[in-house]
Amino acid sequence: MTAELFLQTIVNATYAASYMALIAVGLVLIFGVMGVVNFAHGELYMAGAYAVVALYAGLGIPFFVAVVIGLIFVGLLGLIMEYGLFRPLRDNPLGGLIASIGFLLIMQTVAVLGFGVHMEHVPPSTQEKIVFADGVVLTYQRLYVILAAVGLLSALWFFLRKSKFGWALRACAQDREAAALQGMSINHTARLAMFIGAALAGVAGALTAPLVSPTPYMGHPVIITAFIIIIVGGVGSLEGAVLAAVLYGFVNTFVTTIYDGTLANIVGLLLMLIVLIVKPTGLFGAKERA
Amino acid sequence: MTTKFAISAIDRRQFLSTTAAAALMAGVSMPKIAFGADKVVKIGFLAPLTGAVAAWGKPGLDGCKIWADWVNEAGGIPIGGDTYKVEFVAYDDEYDPGKARTGAVKLIKEDNVQFVMMLGGDPWPGVSPVADKEKMLVSTLLPSDLTPETKMLVAPCEVHPIYNVTGVEWLAENKPDLKTAVIVAQDDSLGKPSVATYLAAFEAAGIKVLGDPIFFDPATTDFAPIMSKMLALKPDIICLDTCYADYVHPLTEQAFQQGFKGQMISCTADFYHKMIEKTSKEFMEGFIFQFPDFDDPALNEPHVNFKKPNEFYAEYVKRFSEGEWSAVSWEYASIMDLWSDAAQKAGTTEPEAVLTAMKAGGKGKQAFGEAVWWGKELFGIDNALVGVWPVVVIEGGKAKIKQFKSIPDWWNKHSALMIKHMEALKQMYYQRS
Repeated sequence: MTAELFLQTIVNATYAASYMALIAVGLVLIFGVMGVVNFAHGELYMAGAYAVVALYAGLGIPFFVAVVIGLIFVGLLGLIMEYGLFRPLRDNPLGGLIASIGFLLIMQTVAVLGFGVHMEHVPPSTQEKIVFADGVVLTYQRLYVILAAVGLLSALWFFLRKSKFGWALRACAQDREAAALQGMSINHTARLAMFIGAALAGVAGALTAPLVSPTPYMGHPVIITAFIIIIVGGVGSLEGAVLAAVLYGFVNTFVTTIYDGTLANIVGLLLMLIVLIVKPTGLFGAKERA
Repeated sequence: MTTKFAISAIDRRQFLSTTAAAALMAGVSMPKIAFGADKVVKIGFLAPLTGAVAAWGKPGLDGCKIWADWVNEAGGIPIGGDTYKVEFVAYDDEYDPGKARTGAVKLIKEDNVQFVMMLGGDPWPGVSPVADKEKMLVSTLLPSDLTPETKMLVAPCEVHPIYNVTGVEWLAENKPDLKTAVIVAQDDSLGKPSVATYLAAFEAAGIKVLGDPIFFDPATTDFAPIMSKMLALKPDIICLDTCYADYVHPLTEQAFQQGFKGQMISCTADFYHKMIEKTSKEFMEGFIFQFPDFDDPALNEPHVNFKKPNEFYAEYVKRFSEGEWSAVSWEYASIMDLWSDAAQKAGTTEPEAVLTAMKAGGKGKQAFGEAVWWGKELFGIDNALVGVWPVVVIEGGKAKIKQFKSIPDWWNKHSALMIKHMEALKQMYYQRS
């Protein structure tokens, strides 16, 4: 591997880790606070991408305005899911999971009816790029994803550590009933978790829309990778999800570049199996929950 | 009174029964007399209409709708003394063998279709036993489905991936300074035989392929690492093989973003206008592929058999927009031309008779010119119709046919190379499982 290829692979891996971290952290937050395995999380990512398809590619609204609207729109979708699906099934351990699978299919069908089955073409908001060296480039479009991941995940960390709402979320994640006995509203924290978790997936979809050619089925491979990441990181651990996203992003990208993508997927699964065997709670385990 | 009533009742019964019989007779006979042109022949369209491969199904069905409307408006197809209107019955196989099998059973047994058109590839193994049992004539766009056992399967339009040799041959003739290439393809039944073909074509053209061909998982969503790996080899040519549109676009975009300045060649460039939007007109200049827009004036050359290509394209754009035109928009329609001619020749829509008529004399009218039924060496059966194929180049943001080149001519010179590479990738008919 040449020095240029090595550096370009680091750039590629940083992008891959960033967008996967945005998605995985949202999934972890929802699971941590609500105890729901949200199989429709990939479709929230897809909804964010289609918001940009409709607003930016379709109506010509400026890209970043479309991204912000996409973030809010998908956050609101999360609220609808919480209110309509997860809250009524709160006492049913499998209810939320099954409902999210149903919602996943509904979301895909709505996307098919609204946009068709073909891939959408979203022109890049800019073709500018940073050239670090000959053969080592980072496009602004990818840079936006990296910056959004660093900014939003840092903001979330401070929110969870420094604000009352954040403490409430962490308290509910540790013990919902004890938090309720302390006067915290379970419904309110669930709404907050769902909005933030969905919005993170939505913003990931919105920002990557010009990079991936959205289709109604684009959420499927993403959710599988997200599950691998949260299992490696420790189910319920935000820090674990970020670390695992970085680990997975780098391992997957380097193996893809040096060998091939199929082997990279196998290595990703092996990584998950090894972690499950050596440390079944994941890298950060249950004690580090949100 | 009673008698009168009885007689009257008998009369009524006679009247009713006579009327019912007359109505029944009228009902039975009327179509023959008043609607003689309204016999309908149903054609099955079994292809992916949704999912990643939909670009090679749905646009073809749209093209068939135009074909059917034109044929039906002209009165239908005269077959064996009757005139038939054509009705397409579509089933979305989602490029899945299980769903394709279900679709084949429905189309053949419930809808009573007389001919089934498929994209082929991965779904074909699901359909093969059904088609075999029912003696149904089936067409594929992918002759790599052909084996000595598939006697009712024909590839009458597209001899994928063999025609890809014409693009490489043209490239070598017109840009002889380009000497190295890298090849990338999805790891599936479509990608592998195409890679073997490009390897043979590059070798025949004296172009060195750098490294091993790169096969990627069809679930890949981020193509940056793959392109970085390719560009690190510093090739003159990037070959995108027969990647699906969902991969050709991001790979091309990545080549642009990572600063590639060389030549690109691909089997397809569906929705290339969108690729230009995402890259630039300058970057896409000279991009070589194999599927023309049908408004190309070169398609009016006398050897082209596709009927009214420019009008077909105009109608397609009018109905579905220019952006919906894909490699297959015209292909299934051109197969219908061949089927229609064969059914008229056979005087029946019965599948075995139509097949016999289609292959009579060992020659046929392929869309781009006279062709021969061929394939024994490569597929174990002469069920692929092969002739000339266009080499298409993007110039000034528009696809243009540069030349029609003969596939049999290339084969006669380089068949050993093709068989060598097909065998190396286990793509010969006797190696495929």
